Amino acid sequence: MTPAGTTLHVPHHPARRHTRSEPPYVRRLLIGTALTFIGLFLILPLLFVFTQAFAKGIGFYFHSIDEPMAWSAIKLTLLAAGISVPLNCVFGVCAAWAIAKFDFYGKNVLLTLIDLPFSVSPVIAGLIYVLVFGTQGWLGLYLNADHPALPWLANWLNDHNFKIIYAVPGIVLATIFVTFPFVARELIPLMQAQGRSEEEAARVLGASGWQVFWRVTLPNIKWGLLYGVILCNARAMGEFGAVSVVSGKIRGQTNTIPLHIEALYDDYNFTGAFAVASLLALLALVTLGLKTWVEHKNAAVLDK
Amino acid sequence: MLPGFKLTLGFTLFYLGLIVLIPLAAVFWKSSSLSWAEFWQTVTMPQAMASYRLTFGVSLGAALVNLVFGLIVAWVLVRYEFFGKKLVDALVDLPFALPTAVAGITLASLYSKNGWIGQFFTYTDEHHEVQSIFFSSRLGIFVALTFIGLPFIVRTVQPILEDIDPELEEAASSLGANRWQVFHRVILPMLTPALLTGFALAFARALGEYGSVIFIAGNIPMKTQITPVLIMQELDMYEYGRATAIAVVMLVVSFVLLLSINVLQWWTNRHNTHNLA
Amino acid sequence: MSVEVKNVTKKFGSFTALDNVSLKVESGELVALLGPSGSGKTTLLRTIAGLEFPDPGDAQVLFYGEDVTHIPASERKAGFAFQHYALFRHMTVFENIAFGLRVRPKTTRPPEAEIRARVDKLLHLIQLEPLAKRFPTQLSGGQRQRVALARALAVEPKVLLLDEPFGALDAKVRKELRRWLRQLHDEIHVTTLFVTHDQEEALEVSDRVAILRNGSIEQIGTPEEIYDKPASPFVYDFLGNVNLFSGRVKDGAVVIGDTEFAAPEAAGEVDSAAVAFVRPHDIRVTRQAAGPALAATVIRSNAAGPVANLELKRLDTGELFTVQLSKELFQELQPKAGEQVFVELKNVKVFSDDYSI
Repeated sequence: MTPAGTTLHVPHHPARRHTRSEPPYVRRLLIGTALTFIGLFLILPLLFVFTQAFAKGIGFYFHSIDEPMAWSAIKLTLLAAGISVPLNCVFGVCAAWAIAKFDFYGKNVLLTLIDLPFSVSPVIAGLIYVLVFGTQGWLGLYLNADHPALPWLANWLNDHNFKIIYAVPGIVLATIFVTFPFVARELIPLMQAQGRSEEEAARVLGASGWQVFWRVTLPNIKWGLLYGVILCNARAMGEFGAVSVVSGKIRGQTNTIPLHIEALYDDYNFTGAFAVASLLALLALVTLGLKTWVEHKNAAVLDK
Repeated sequence: MLPGFKLTLGFTLFYLGLIVLIPLAAVFWKSSSLSWAEFWQTVTMPQAMASYRLTFGVSLGAALVNLVFGLIVAWVLVRYEFFGKKLVDALVDLPFALPTAVAGITLASLYSKNGWIGQFFTYTDEHHEVQSIFFSSRLGIFVALTFIGLPFIVRTVQPILEDIDPELEEAASSLGANRWQVFHRVILPMLTPALLTGFALAFARALGEYGSVIFIAGNIPMKTQITPVLIMQELDMYEYGRATAIAVVMLVVSFVLLLSINVLQWWTNRHNTHNLA
Repeated sequence: MSVEVKNVTKKFGSFTALDNVSLKVESGELVALLGPSGSGKTTLLRTIAGLEFPDPGDAQVLFYGEDVTHIPASERKAGFAFQHYALFRHMTVFENIAFGLRVRPKTTRPPEAEIRARVDKLLHLIQLEPLAKRFPTQLSGGQRQRVALARALAVEPKVLLLDEPFGALDAKVRKELRRWLRQLHDEIHVTTLFVTHDQEEALEVSDRVAILRNGSIEQIGTPEEIYDKPASPFVYDFLGNVNLFSGRVKDGAVVIGDTEFAAPEAAGEVDSAAVAFVRPHDIRVTRQAAGPALAATVIRSNAAGPVANLELKRLDTGELFTVQLSKELFQELQPKAGEQVFVELKNVKVFSDDYSI
């Protein structure tokens, strides 16, 4: 299941307008409807975030962001994104290489499995890690077992009070899960469309596997890769449901930015909540801007 | 023969297994700790049934509204020129990019009784207090799910609409079809697979949605509690078995939807290449 | 023997692309692999390049006697030009040609100055010096093909392999490049195999032609040999237009309708059902029969182009066939639609009836 907006696309036909147009009143009605819908559902909420963020002045705004709890949330969010994005990037490139450059049985099954995380509710994404690593889960039961298979590991984990659930590792894992398909989903169709012949040509000319990848494949997929990374990062920094299950929500320790926003909101500190939320709204705008820029770049490459 | 097949496929399967498949298997492992009777009792308890009805009903409604408006937005973006078109085109993806928690508190405040929109839609309840009709109601959940589902239909229909060969429409016009007939008999059938795919994507996304809904929904059991919130509630009470049982129901529905979406996309692609050939 | 393939079989699922194929190519030869699509010609070429590996068995690929069957493409030193060129789209023409030299390990990589000199020489050879800084998308099809050739030649390959080298070009550029390829080959004498489905191209350019069908080599020989002495109806049919006349073969002759035509190759054959193959230009049309001839009616004539074409219908069976004749003969004869003429068959090639094309 691909989020529909995540694939680069270039139209084949320049529109021939004069022979394919509706009467002016129909056109105006449709444009009006579309703009009202967009205005009501997208532009108004966006304006609202920033108005609310500055409702108590610029001083309060910066005070809301520049405080230890907020900083701790920002650091944790950056850490989670900093680990999950590169890992999913490596995975995406590997999966796309195997799927686009080779033929093998079960390819369609693999493609469907890669899409799985998109179709799983964020709450369930968090739940599954609780079931594996929680005190009642697979690993938890193992650690509390009378005779663990690897006693030194069980002892070490117990001695160091190493926790996954309600701690940072769980947050990172949940983030990896929800952002799992982004890069792969972007690269697979791109690399399938580009075919294998450039890589084969490089091989015949004597290039090693790594040389083929760095000198031929990577330059061809760089915009698609960047596109996937941008979307992956936006989701990683903004994930709420999955993280909220595994985090335990200890302020200053296991709160990410979205969880911090929830906490402020629940405390009726609306202006504070919107001040911090404006950071993520800004990130969303930057994401959309970069996305549009990459699409533009990619279209230019294809046009050349 | 290119190198790296074993390495890349091996890593792909390893990572997929570690991050996705093994943890997902844990759901089925955990739910097997319940007896069949316990499982059935949990997934059919009144609170769960009410949450399914609410979640499915409102998700369906939101996806239907997006089907109509998404098609109009896609049409306008592909076919017409107007001021701010590029900006609108870029903004369509905002629900993908905006974190759900931000969307959640924004919609909740916007539609509350003092909010920019909510203030115009109030009523007085039995305790003589003014309330927004969106707050703690299906309508509020509907607004949130419409917001998060908005890009799906636009983005699946847009590329197909862009690729429709102008000659097809010109041929239909030259054969005497009027504008509405061209749309209804030529364009719409070509868009149908994409519309269905977009609809299924928006619906699937709405079913599992959590962050953007919880702030506006009020989460009143039996009334405005969606299924993901019910799972969360069971988890907060350390009822892992029950949370897992309900999760199994949702997962099965998601997998069925995922499969039908893949079939639909395969159909869309085939349909499309067929048109171009 | 510069390139030799022995007993190569290659299956893709249930499809047999190559069925126990063996082929020897002499050093410096230019050989065409000719066949319809699905005949296995591209798979054979890719197997020689190391882009496909033969199915396990006693298959062997030899370069100058050296067994390269299990050596990967990157170490075979075969030059390969792809059907759609496969130029690196993010590199200039110059960098595309230099690629094979730049990816060599440091120990065997020529110094930068030498790389430049060699690329410049190749650019001169393909007459594209002014376009060195262009990107592939800024070139015409013919220019791209020449760059692809130069890129393959830059690594000084032991053998040059070209997959449908002119397939994606329009007719005029095709002819030009064909001639250019032959000249280039005469200049540099690198052993070359090229795949084509165009018989004219194969006959005009190559020293020898191998005709493939269903994963096997049907016939191999010089263009004259295979054109004049096709080994099977398939080869005969594949090499040009043909008219089929069913009849009976007997010692040294073939009987079509009531008329007996000489067929020297059929000497010693026993009387049996057979099909006579006759090329349209081997049929002589006259108003008066001067020897064995079939009577026919003129259906249509077309004198546009370098030769004239007649469509005729046999009086006895009503079967249609075509005749090609020179403009002079056509002027002399001035055939009218509906009029009756006689046709004499020359160079009749007889195949027994159970052969199918």
